[in-house]
Amino acid sequence: MDIVMPQLGETVAEGTLTVWHKKPGERIESGDVLFEVETDKVDTEVPAPAPGVLSEILVEEGETVVVGTKIGILQADGEDAPAPAAEAVVETPARAPEKAENSPAMAGKADAAAPPLSPVVRKLLAEHGLKPSDVTGSGLGGRIKKQDIEAHIAAHIAVMGDAYSVDGEPPAADRVIVPFTKIRKRTADHMVASKATSPHVLQAVEVDFHRIAAVRAAKGADWKAREGFSLTFLPFIAHAACRAIQEFPHVNASVDGDALVVWRDIGLGIAVDLGPDGLVAPVIRRAAGRSVADLARAINDLSSRARNNALTADDVSGGTYTLSNSGSFGTLITAPIINQPQVAILSTDGIFKKPVVVESDAGDSIVIRPIGVLAQSFDHRAIDGAYSARFLKRVKQLIETDDWSGALA
Amino acid sequence: MAELTYRDAVAAGIAQEMRRDDRVVFLGEDVAAAGGVFKATVGLLDEFGPVRVRDTPISEQAILGAAMGAAMTGLRPIAEIMFSDFLAVCWDLVANEIAKSRYMTNGQLECPLVIRTANGGGSRFGAQHSQSVENWAMAVPGIKVVAPSTAADVKGLLAAAVRDPDPVLFFEHKSLYATKGEVPDDDHVDELGKAKVLRRGDDVTIVALAAMVPRSVAAAEILASEHGISATVIDVRSLVPLDTRTILTEVVKTGRLVTVEENPRLCGWGAEIASIVADECFYDLDGPVVRITTPHIPLPSADHLEDLAMPSVTRIVETVRTRMD
Amino acid sequence: MAIEKKKAASASASTLANDDLGEDTRLALFRSQTEIRQVEQKAYDLFLQNLIKGTSHLALGHEAVAAGFGVAMRSDDYSFCTYRGHHHTLARGASMTGVLGELMGRDCGLLRGKGGSMHLTSAEHGVMGSYAIIGAHLPIAAGAAWSAQYRGTEQVSVCFFGDGTTNIGAFHEALNMAAVWKLPVVFVCENNLYMEYTPIKDVTAVENPAGDRAGSYGLEKIVIDGNDADEVYRTAQVALTKARAGDGPSLIECLTYRHSGHSRADPGAYRPEGELEEWLKRDPVPTYRVRLLEFGVAEDALAAIEAETKDAVEAAVKTAVASPPPGEELLYADVWADGGASWRN
Repeated sequence: MDIVMPQLGETVAEGTLTVWHKKPGERIESGDVLFEVETDKVDTEVPAPAPGVLSEILVEEGETVVVGTKIGILQADGEDAPAPAAEAVVETPARAPEKAENSPAMAGKADAAAPPLSPVVRKLLAEHGLKPSDVTGSGLGGRIKKQDIEAHIAAHIAVMGDAYSVDGEPPAADRVIVPFTKIRKRTADHMVASKATSPHVLQAVEVDFHRIAAVRAAKGADWKAREGFSLTFLPFIAHAACRAIQEFPHVNASVDGDALVVWRDIGLGIAVDLGPDGLVAPVIRRAAGRSVADLARAINDLSSRARNNALTADDVSGGTYTLSNSGSFGTLITAPIINQPQVAILSTDGIFKKPVVVESDAGDSIVIRPIGVLAQSFDHRAIDGAYSARFLKRVKQLIETDDWSGALA
Repeated sequence: MAELTYRDAVAAGIAQEMRRDDRVVFLGEDVAAAGGVFKATVGLLDEFGPVRVRDTPISEQAILGAAMGAAMTGLRPIAEIMFSDFLAVCWDLVANEIAKSRYMTNGQLECPLVIRTANGGGSRFGAQHSQSVENWAMAVPGIKVVAPSTAADVKGLLAAAVRDPDPVLFFEHKSLYATKGEVPDDDHVDELGKAKVLRRGDDVTIVALAAMVPRSVAAAEILASEHGISATVIDVRSLVPLDTRTILTEVVKTGRLVTVEENPRLCGWGAEIASIVADECFYDLDGPVVRITTPHIPLPSADHLEDLAMPSVTRIVETVRTRMD
Repeated sequence: MAIEKKKAASASASTLANDDLGEDTRLALFRSQTEIRQVEQKAYDLFLQNLIKGTSHLALGHEAVAAGFGVAMRSDDYSFCTYRGHHHTLARGASMTGVLGELMGRDCGLLRGKGGSMHLTSAEHGVMGSYAIIGAHLPIAAGAAWSAQYRGTEQVSVCFFGDGTTNIGAFHEALNMAAVWKLPVVFVCENNLYMEYTPIKDVTAVENPAGDRAGSYGLEKIVIDGNDADEVYRTAQVALTKARAGDGPSLIECLTYRHSGHSRADPGAYRPEGELEEWLKRDPVPTYRVRLLEFGVAEDALAAIEAETKDAVEAAVKTAVASPPPGEELLYADVWADGGASWRN
């Protein structure tokens, strides 16, 4: 029977086969994880379709293929065997059953099915006072590799005082070496590529959030009691941004060669910081026309699931515009990096009470208002400063002048 | 510096040593007038004359006996055994006589000689003219064993072998004879017992010898560019004396060892290195030691079959990739 | 058993006076044979006392060949012999203590116990090894001759081997190369009629295993009475002179007999009845003694040599028995020129 690249999301057209869990010649039972597929940063384990023997691998690890591509052949139980093809000389036999029997003896765990701990891993665990369960294994079947322990240590380094050395040599006194985790490395590559692709321009507006602040003050407690999570400024900003996008659709687009692909709907990406596990931007699909309450629930759902490593492939695909929220850190302004292949990203930063000038018929007065900066990085291939500025002005206008009191109905 | 072929580097190395030391003499079958069946000794007869450069009958035992007798009595002979497979014909001289006479005679007899021979497959010469037998030599105490992979190493290591007071078996690789490389012009002496790290990576240490070295380097490049696996590649160069320090240092850094050996599987040279690593680097290993070798079969003649048998770049890439986990 | 004599160089020994050889030479020949005889007999005794371990191949009966060449050779000539080589080693001047000590595996042995009976070597005396692989040393001896030729020193390489050797490949290769290159090497076949336990005639296609092959290499057939030290000496001289003159190799077959078995383990039961007794009548040492007396050498002189030899042998045994076994550090000594055994860093 053929093994094909599955479709892991409605809009997913291709997948990258990251890991084969079995080798040609190996026995597979139903439910055994056969391979892993990565789509937009989500890794999915795919079980075997039927019990049998994996007879051939056609797509190698690291290859990206279109959904439906035949990636392997399974000799399912009860099937007639195909005519054997001329095979190249294979020097080492496929991993024989006796290797599986050796594993439990080697593993430091009581669970016989857990992948074994290699000698260097056992040494490092002992040296650093770690248990195997403390460390996430990135190897086959969750096997802990040397790099996993090194990454774990790097992520938990105490920078002040004693320097941790990861490679066994006494560290130079003037520095601490912090190896990149896989996620960090991927993020780094993505960021470099984004900057290399899009000519970034930053524009910002200062926004008066007093109307939204008033709604939060009035209805925040009820909301929290009812919904189980706090109502932040973010869903309101998202709502305003989505409405502004409908008037300025070119910020919700992608560059394709010499053309701008303007998306009809909005896939609103919400950037979530996972700490040492990096950044991820799950997407609220069909964000246009959603209410503030709906957006609030969606944001909460996605960020919780992101933190619990429970995002699906659909969750991280289909983004057309991204919101990046640094507000809790109290920063003034951020110049975010565009989430390719989008053309713009909006950053919201700290909202602080500030004295501002308010005009009225009676003259100018100074009032205390909650003020925050909204900054958009845009791809200057797609749009110009004037267009972006008008978009930002509209977002500011919506936030400052809309009647948000009925927003949570 | 000059760009020389591997075969020209042989002649250059011999010539360099014969100019330097009158005690160096050279003998073998068809080495003088014909310049060697592989054309590796062209020009030596012209420069040094028929007294110092001698064509012999087809008499491997007499060739090595002559070299040994001469070495014991003050000369520094270089003897050629045309194909390393023929060492089996005179193996008594190598293993029983040359290797052991210093030890058995409590140091009274010495054998400062070099036996150079064309080793290895890939030339479609069939099973009796294609073997890699450096592991046979490694297994006998008392002989030094060298197998260069580049023209520069040929000249430098041959010079070191000639100057070495111990007997050296110098395995040239016949399918490398046409390869080219930069070779220093003037007095060029390398060092026996020193491996070379050709590239450094983080994920795996690949240890190779002779013709397997360029294949391992090519495989490492593919592993890096297409599979995100970065490999260290070490050219062992000298099996005896063995540069274990370099090998162990690099294996500790990556936590993994793969050997690439042309000899047939059983008791190939990599088995010894695997054993040393398993013993002395056990607690630094992040995965099993893997040996990539020719299978334990005689080498077939047909080109497609021979290529399947010898470790290819593809097989090296695939084996490393699939065993990396 | 017919014995061929080469016409020109030797005749019936007993009718020659001390004219071509001289008394000094003859006494040297006598002393050498006496020393060999006594040391080998002592070695046999030491077997029985279990002081000599392993295996040993005695040369009792071969004394004349060793002495004849030993006296004829220059001190800087090279000699190569087989595992049955105690006599050649002693004949070149190596010490009895060294020989017996080596047989007993003691530190005073020529090789400090590293080599044993089959590998006796004394480079300072030109004894360039005793070889245990049949035929191996013939090409090596040719190599030493090549070296002498190259260096122009007129040294000669003399190679001793048995009748069985003539049937092994290395014999052919060495003879051919030596003849083609005109090497200064003398190949001496001690034909004692038995290749280990088998009569040589049963396994050889020609009657004289060495002599009848000489022609294959363009060499003269030379077969002599190997139990006649004078004949050996004269034949050796001719061959050595020829080699030193640059006229190439010689192949000499010396007919002789060994009194004991092939090795310690062999009582020699395969020999036909009466054969040993026949040969003992022509035992080289007592027959040479008789000849010297016939030449007019004083009995006292001969007795003195025998007595001195006896004392020397006793002293050598005493020294050797008192010598300790080799130290453990020798285990790793001298695999390489640097004195060590290391194959790695």
